[in-house]
Amino acid sequence: MGFKNLPMTTVKPTENKESLFSEKVRAEIDTWVAKYPEGWQQSAVMAALRIVQDDNAGYLTQELMDQVAAYLDMPPIAVYEVATFYSMYEHKKVGKHKVCVCTNVSCMINGSDKIVDHMEKKLGIKLGEVTEDGKYSLKEVECLGACGGAPMFQIGTKYYENLTPELVDSILDGLE
Amino acid sequence: MKMLSDYIKSLAMLELLKGLRVTGGYMFKKKFTVQYPEEKAPISPRFRGLHALRRYENGEERCIACKLCEATCPAAAITIEVSPPLPDGSRRTSRYDIDLFKCIFCGYCQEACPVDAIVETPIYEYHFENRVDAVMTKSKLLEVGDKHEAELAACIHADGKYR
Amino acid sequence: MSEDQTITIEIDGKAIQAAPGQMLIEVTDAAGIDIPRFCYHKKLSVSANCRMCLVEVERAPKPLPACATPVNDGMKVFTRSPIALAAQKGTMEFLLINHPLDCPICDQGGECELQDISMGYGSDISRFVEGKRIVKDKDIGPLITTDLTRCIHCTRCVRFGAEIAGIRELGATGRGEHMTIGTYIEKSVDSELSGNIIDVCPVGSLTSKPSQFKARAWEMLQRDTIAPHDSVGSNIHVHVRRNELIRVHPKDNESINECWISDRDRFSYEGVYSDDRLTTPMIKSNGEWRNASWDEALAMVVTGLKNAGADIGALLSPNATVEELYLAQKLIKSLGSERIDSRLRQGDFRGEAPSYPWLGQSIESLEKVDAALLVGSSIRKEQPMLAHRLRKAALEGAQISFINPLELDLNYAAQQLVTTPAGMITELACVAKAAGANGDLIDQAEVTEVHKLLAEKLKGAANGALLLGNLATAHADYSIIRSLATAIATACDLKLGYLPEASNSIGAHLVGAVASTGNDAQAMLETACKGYLLMGIEPGLDLWNPAKAANAFEQADFVVALTAFRSANLEAAADVLLPMALFVETSGSFVNAEGTLQSFAGVITPSGNTRPAWKILRVLGNLLEVPGFDYVDTTEVLAEITQATSALVPNNAVSNQVASTEVRTAKNGLQRIGDVPIYALDPLVRHARSLQKTHDAIPAGVYLNAEEAGKLGVTEGDNTVVVQDQVRIQLPLFIDPNVPNGCARIPAALAGVEQLGAQFGEVTLEKV
Repeated sequence: MGFKNLPMTTVKPTENKESLFSEKVRAEIDTWVAKYPEGWQQSAVMAALRIVQDDNAGYLTQELMDQVAAYLDMPPIAVYEVATFYSMYEHKKVGKHKVCVCTNVSCMINGSDKIVDHMEKKLGIKLGEVTEDGKYSLKEVECLGACGGAPMFQIGTKYYENLTPELVDSILDGLE
Repeated sequence: MKMLSDYIKSLAMLELLKGLRVTGGYMFKKKFTVQYPEEKAPISPRFRGLHALRRYENGEERCIACKLCEATCPAAAITIEVSPPLPDGSRRTSRYDIDLFKCIFCGYCQEACPVDAIVETPIYEYHFENRVDAVMTKSKLLEVGDKHEAELAACIHADGKYR
Repeated sequence: MSEDQTITIEIDGKAIQAAPGQMLIEVTDAAGIDIPRFCYHKKLSVSANCRMCLVEVERAPKPLPACATPVNDGMKVFTRSPIALAAQKGTMEFLLINHPLDCPICDQGGECELQDISMGYGSDISRFVEGKRIVKDKDIGPLITTDLTRCIHCTRCVRFGAEIAGIRELGATGRGEHMTIGTYIEKSVDSELSGNIIDVCPVGSLTSKPSQFKARAWEMLQRDTIAPHDSVGSNIHVHVRRNELIRVHPKDNESINECWISDRDRFSYEGVYSDDRLTTPMIKSNGEWRNASWDEALAMVVTGLKNAGADIGALLSPNATVEELYLAQKLIKSLGSERIDSRLRQGDFRGEAPSYPWLGQSIESLEKVDAALLVGSSIRKEQPMLAHRLRKAALEGAQISFINPLELDLNYAAQQLVTTPAGMITELACVAKAAGANGDLIDQAEVTEVHKLLAEKLKGAANGALLLGNLATAHADYSIIRSLATAIATACDLKLGYLPEASNSIGAHLVGAVASTGNDAQAMLETACKGYLLMGIEPGLDLWNPAKAANAFEQADFVVALTAFRSANLEAAADVLLPMALFVETSGSFVNAEGTLQSFAGVITPSGNTRPAWKILRVLGNLLEVPGFDYVDTTEVLAEITQATSALVPNNAVSNQVASTEVRTAKNGLQRIGDVPIYALDPLVRHARSLQKTHDAIPAGVYLNAEEAGKLGVTEGDNTVVVQDQVRIQLPLFIDPNVPNGCARIPAALAGVEQLGAQFGEVTLEKV
């Protein structure tokens, strides 16, 4: 949604941004802010949210989103909109390993249901839940663009394709 | 000559006998009159008699105070006031009056009602002893509805497939 | 292609002229061709997300949204072709899949764009058999009800917030079917224009909370009138059911309020039904109030007025109509008194006053300024619609600066010089000196870089404005501020203008309901008159110095008040209360800031035994046997006024010399900033229930910044004793970072500060 006139930015810029986040996180966000023209720091909101999420064990809280808004001089609601729109932002605690399993058409035809059933039984949790020890969480996602290797899931930044229950076992057991 | 024959015929009272033949004929035919109030004519489930307000099975009033009946009433016989939103956010009437002197029993209120709350019952035997009694208030309408709910539900069910 | 070129396009076989760059829907709207739409709004940006305005365009492979398709020369458009109709029908079916069929209980039912367009362009049956979504309603404050299950995601409300109100509070969170409109976190929407989202919402998702369930659309009569609060004179539609006000909507008037109105104008009608409404005349006998008949009360008033004779003072509300003010001044003058004033919150009457002050330009031209200096104006809270015009100018690049005793929360970038009341004079003198003006105060000023830059900006403006607001008017050295402002305006070639406080502040000048110096509102309270006539005011809340006023009323033999509301304060001051009708109950006229006289008729019959003030004054005139008081209606009064004042034109000119009047405001000591909060402006809005529940209806108290509070050793929530002119009262303390050092913001016109003194002046605070 584009607006007729500016105010994706707030009227009063936030003072003393040094109190927000750690120095490392700030530096990382700044490299993204630097990629956009002067005054368009809010364009870095997606990167900033990702950085902050990674820094906070993989999920965002309202306080963190408010801080991102303050850091980028945006109205908080504009940050909430972005953070709730994209599925890669988490708003609840996730496991150490977030298993994003695709259940879209190609994977479904190739037996993703079986994979999901197997994992649910193995980990004792349903989709969208976290194991008690906080090690794994299961998440249903839409197509990740790896239909050639269906069924598949993603853990961290890695894709695992052509899954079978046995393969799933070995992958999950092999994780730290 | 004609005059004479007519005179003789009149002495024989032939007209009377002709008439009595018709009377006598009907005396033994099947009767069509209904002996009201001992007997009652059958009525359709669509019969438009006295009004009633219905409730759901759990006792909740059906009427949501949408005022469509008030708007559609050609005789302007219905007056509704809405109560402020109830604690659960629902919308109810605080007043629902039908002036039976104004009402023409057209049934439009029943047609307009989206929740089958206001209905015209098969009741046609009622009277008032005071002019004010002709105004059916909400409590009176609900009372009628409560008393005849089974019958009303049956009427609506019977008519349902034609709607 | 140059701007003024026109092109010809063909719509449904008709050749139509259009300007290049226009969107198709603007052209069809101007030509009176109907295209259904939900998300498009002429004052908002194009988002093209509802897809309802799809039309067939020749050579385009698919139907195009008319709201986002620019016109091209020779373009052929079909709005009712089978392709267009099929597209619209399909869109309508999609829009309705998640829409509940709860029209019978929806407040929008009967006037709903979705209903209308569904009837006109939709299908009579839906193929959607799956479950519909349900969205939890959110609490966004006391003015607006949400029913988000009905939402069709047009985002008009979101765009309104960002583009018009200037505050991004509402947003669309979630995606696809999970998208919901809301604030995400539980909070209220606190813009002074928030009520307009009720109007822009095409469905029943956002409806008015005060009028929830009160009436269906077809039951109401629409009458037109003029809003009675700020000096804009917004045109409004009042919707009435069986002689009861149900709601207020804006009436389009591009040159005054466009298509918006402020929340104050929209929700203040609730005051008409306040429990404090006075509905019958009342008389005080032996200190006890009792109801009286009109005859009895009027007879008492006539005796009182006759006894007071020429020694009578009249304090008239600047919210009264032109006719009422005219009759009141005629009545008072016939008694031989010149003491009539409606500038009740003016702090200083020295020096030459302009004869007929006004905005200095039209309201519409305010959005064309390229630089403006506002002195003593909390403009968003004082004049929401004018603030909106200025914001438009600011977004176009105008440089807006403020010299204020409070920092404002603005919705655009502006320069703010925040200083003490004495500092305001210094700052103004500095700017004047930097601009090259001369005068007593100006010559001593010490100019800094800030002032030079500001003066340069103002000088460089081709279309600049200098506006004086309510905080300047209430300043104890208003005359000095005015002459300094005049000096700056002359030096920088700016249009000098006043932001009049009330709906008829300017009309009061027109009909002579303002006194010359010496007879003014302050003077007549300084030395008590024998009698007073109060019209439409609550003395503790509507006067600059309530403490002094209370004193004067105590000494007076006789005080008669024409009032719509009872209040303890008024009852303490008055001897007779005459119940007066409110703005919707009477006919009359207001003169707005730009000098436009707008007349209106009564909308409902006056409550109880109340009478329009002009009728009360006319009868008083008759009883006092004043000649020429035989008016039948307000149009006769107005005709007499127009005849008498035809030569008068708005004029802000005062002799351009900074009078060497002494500065009364002390440089040291704690200075009171007695601003009038937005929802405390006049008796009507103070009695409007829902507005008083909003965040802008702040409680009475002492507002200090953290530093000043630290000095005093108090923190938020503590009670403090405020001492002003020997009056001591206890007020709670609030920390407010917008208050400068050396100042204590103690808002006026709030219940709890009736005993205090002047709106501006020295106060001392003591720890309890």
